[in-house]
Amino acid sequence: MRPAADQLRARAEAASAALPALMLSAERLAAALVPGAHGQRRAGMGEDFWQYRPATAGDTARSIDWRRSARSDAQFVRDREAQVAQSAAIWVSAAAGMDYAGGADRQAKRDRAELLALALAMALLAGGERVALAGQPPRPGRLQAERMAEALVARPALDRDEDAPPAEALRPGQRIVLFDDFLGDPQPVLDYLARAAGLGVQGVLMQVLDPDEDGFPWRGAVLFRSASGALRHDTRDAGGLRTAYLARLAERREVLSRAAATAGWHFGMHDTGAPPSQALLWLWSVLEG
Amino acid sequence: MLLIGPIGFLTPWILAALAALPVLWLILRAMPPSPKLVRFPGTRLLLGLRDPHPVARHTPWWLLLLRVLAIAALILGFAGPVWKPSPDQGGQGPLLIVMDAGWAAAPDWPQRQARALRALDQAGAEGRPAALLVGDGRAEGALPFLPATELAAQLRALRPAAWETRYPSDPEAVLAGAPGALSVLWLSDGLDHPGRAEWLSALSGRGSVTVVPPQGPRQSLELVPGDQPALRLRSTGAATSEVLAIGLDPQGTPRELARLQPGEEAEDQGGTSRLVPIALPSELRNRITRFEVEGHASAGAVVLADDSLRRRKVALVGDDRASEGQRLLSPLHYLRRALGPTTDLIEGGLGDVLQASPDVIVLADQFGLAETQGLRDWVEQGGLLIRFSGPRMAASERLSEEPLLPVRLRAGGRDIGGALSWGDPRTVAPFAADGPFAGLSVRGDATVRAQLLAEPSPDLADRTIAQLSDGTPLVTRAPLGQGQLVLFHTTANAEWSNLAISGLFVEMLDRLVRSARASAAAPGADRAEQPFWLPELVLDGFGHPTEPQDPAPVAAADFARGPAPGAPAGLYRGGERMAALNAGGPIAPADWPGARIERAAQAPGLDLRGWLIALAAALLALDALGSAWLARGRRGALA
Repeated sequence: MRPAADQLRARAEAASAALPALMLSAERLAAALVPGAHGQRRAGMGEDFWQYRPATAGDTARSIDWRRSARSDAQFVRDREAQVAQSAAIWVSAAAGMDYAGGADRQAKRDRAELLALALAMALLAGGERVALAGQPPRPGRLQAERMAEALVARPALDRDEDAPPAEALRPGQRIVLFDDFLGDPQPVLDYLARAAGLGVQGVLMQVLDPDEDGFPWRGAVLFRSASGALRHDTRDAGGLRTAYLARLAERREVLSRAAATAGWHFGMHDTGAPPSQALLWLWSVLEG
Repeated sequence: MLLIGPIGFLTPWILAALAALPVLWLILRAMPPSPKLVRFPGTRLLLGLRDPHPVARHTPWWLLLLRVLAIAALILGFAGPVWKPSPDQGGQGPLLIVMDAGWAAAPDWPQRQARALRALDQAGAEGRPAALLVGDGRAEGALPFLPATELAAQLRALRPAAWETRYPSDPEAVLAGAPGALSVLWLSDGLDHPGRAEWLSALSGRGSVTVVPPQGPRQSLELVPGDQPALRLRSTGAATSEVLAIGLDPQGTPRELARLQPGEEAEDQGGTSRLVPIALPSELRNRITRFEVEGHASAGAVVLADDSLRRRKVALVGDDRASEGQRLLSPLHYLRRALGPTTDLIEGGLGDVLQASPDVIVLADQFGLAETQGLRDWVEQGGLLIRFSGPRMAASERLSEEPLLPVRLRAGGRDIGGALSWGDPRTVAPFAADGPFAGLSVRGDATVRAQLLAEPSPDLADRTIAQLSDGTPLVTRAPLGQGQLVLFHTTANAEWSNLAISGLFVEMLDRLVRSARASAAAPGADRAEQPFWLPELVLDGFGHPTEPQDPAPVAAADFARGPAPGAPAGLYRGGERMAALNAGGPIAPADWPGARIERAAQAPGLDLRGWLIALAAALLALDALGSAWLARGRRGALA
């Protein structure tokens, strides 16, 4: 049972309440093209007044503030406060496998991923950032959180095993957060990372897994079937496959984290058996840094 | 039969299948259990992996154990296990089956047959010859010893006979053809029969004798002759059966008319004997065709009713002239009304009625009869003469010389309670407990105003069977030859007494008429003088009546000896008379010195087959439940 939008929002608020206002680092400030409303407490391009300074060579006559200059002999230039053109895009995979929950007492991966995504978005919004789901225009404000919650819940689960983030929606200066189990074909993700690196976009890969997927508790004869049913694997000794599976899982993580490091991204892992605040704190620290 | 401890197996070779159980265990172990279906997003990571140890996951050991136990129970069940089977009775040597086949063998006949057949089967399986000696008195000559299988059909066709078990008289002659030492199985009916001891000693000398006693006590029913007809129920053991009186109901349908309760128990030749009084109204009694012991299907427990229980033929002789004018003054009118419902009445002159050979002749105030000699002969042959007093007898001068009276009478009679006499009319005194009127209740309204008095004599008290309240005789009785003379000292009409218009009168007459012996009525009715008796209805050994297939006449001498081969129990007709030949009679339990007695309880052993197969079914049901439980885990993974 997927939660409704207001429920998701309420839980995300609860999860993000403990976090301090999240401030995105302004590392890519110079390259920001889209102006943001975030004052950087220094002079730069912006709309708000920052300070008056004596005009120097190179300042155009247009830039001189004549009302100020008239009160003294020197010419003053009216500086405006620099504004950040920072925004974050969040993407949650809707692949069929994301609906998996290993036990009745555990959340489905997608539910957990959406919870994290919305909590993160609310924390960002509270910090004045502009946030959106990938492929949508980022906006600031409290209302945006509600829009996002509705969009997250409204998105139907795919009947495919893989879901790829929209590479064409990448914009320079964005921070990207991808929530997925990354158990499908890794190639689209690698391609996405390569393109993001080319655009100078940074972000985080967040792998959300169920404890079952992490621990592989099965024994005996088991017929494994992927969530969509497209893939199946029949074994008569599932217990014996555990080591090989865990090796492959580690290898997959290795590939992803290496690709992320190459692209200047971060790779994180989250277990639905663990509390969501843990992952949220990690995301916060990564995005802040 | 294979014996393992207390369990025997009828078909032990099936047990060889138990050797396959370990193999079955391995096969069941190796059988791949159906895989658990798991929806797993990480399946892509598993693609191409190979099972490191290609071993099947084992079926749970308890499920395996259930299945193997079920198979083992089935195998054991089909091997025909018997708990504590009867030990081998066969012994060695040729088998001789002695089968008591009289009426006493009838109640448990199928069990006897089954036991004998079992012995025959066993002998046949071991290739021993066998012979069958049927104790129905029809075996003749030396007994042939045949292969046991040829005797089975004969044994199955055998039925008990409607007479006592009889053995051939000469054991040696019958056993002349016996090869070597015998193994004798004697299916006894539990009763002693003539010649049984001789046979037992003869057979004991030739081999081992095993006696199969009957199941339950034997019972026999017999009619006891006497004033009051009764039945005697004999039993070799404790039995509380009732006696059913069966006859035609008013619609002509045979049905149970009454149930008779046996009386006190008495010892009788090692068994018990009970008297069953037939205390029934005459109308009911006359309709009874047979008595039988309830729940005991045997010819010996059936008594067919014949003339001895039937309606008596009563002749009324008297002066009936008064009837032309005043019917209620005629003595014969009261007699007719009293006797008519329960007896066949004939009327006429004494000479005429003597020709009709009645059971009872009633003379109402007759005196100085011409046919005195004929009447005396009739009474001496067993007739019952009942005389009533009256004014004519009282007026006679020669009353004391009158013949055919039980007591000598005093001339003149006695008048009491009349206008010219002292005293009140006398009532009837209570009846003596041992007389023919015992048990009848005396009502105070029956009074006597006049009577004939008897001359005092030493035997007057013995001959008085009813008296008035002052001790003077009312009814006297005396035997004459085989018959009886009875005198009522008052009239048969209401002239001297209102006894004739009371119910007591009817009951007294009924008792008297019933005490008349039916067979003694007619001259020439002696059994020996009836040359032949023809069967009208014969009983089989179980006591069921059947039409005689071949009604061979039975000579009277044989008839008198009771049921025998050729003269089965039944109803026989000779001339106008019907006589019943009843099988029941005195019985005595048999004893078996030196013979081995087979206990009925241990005979067949307890067959375990059904239990084991039921156990296997239960185990398989448990297995199904267990499998379902395992599959439930799989479905849980799917959900």
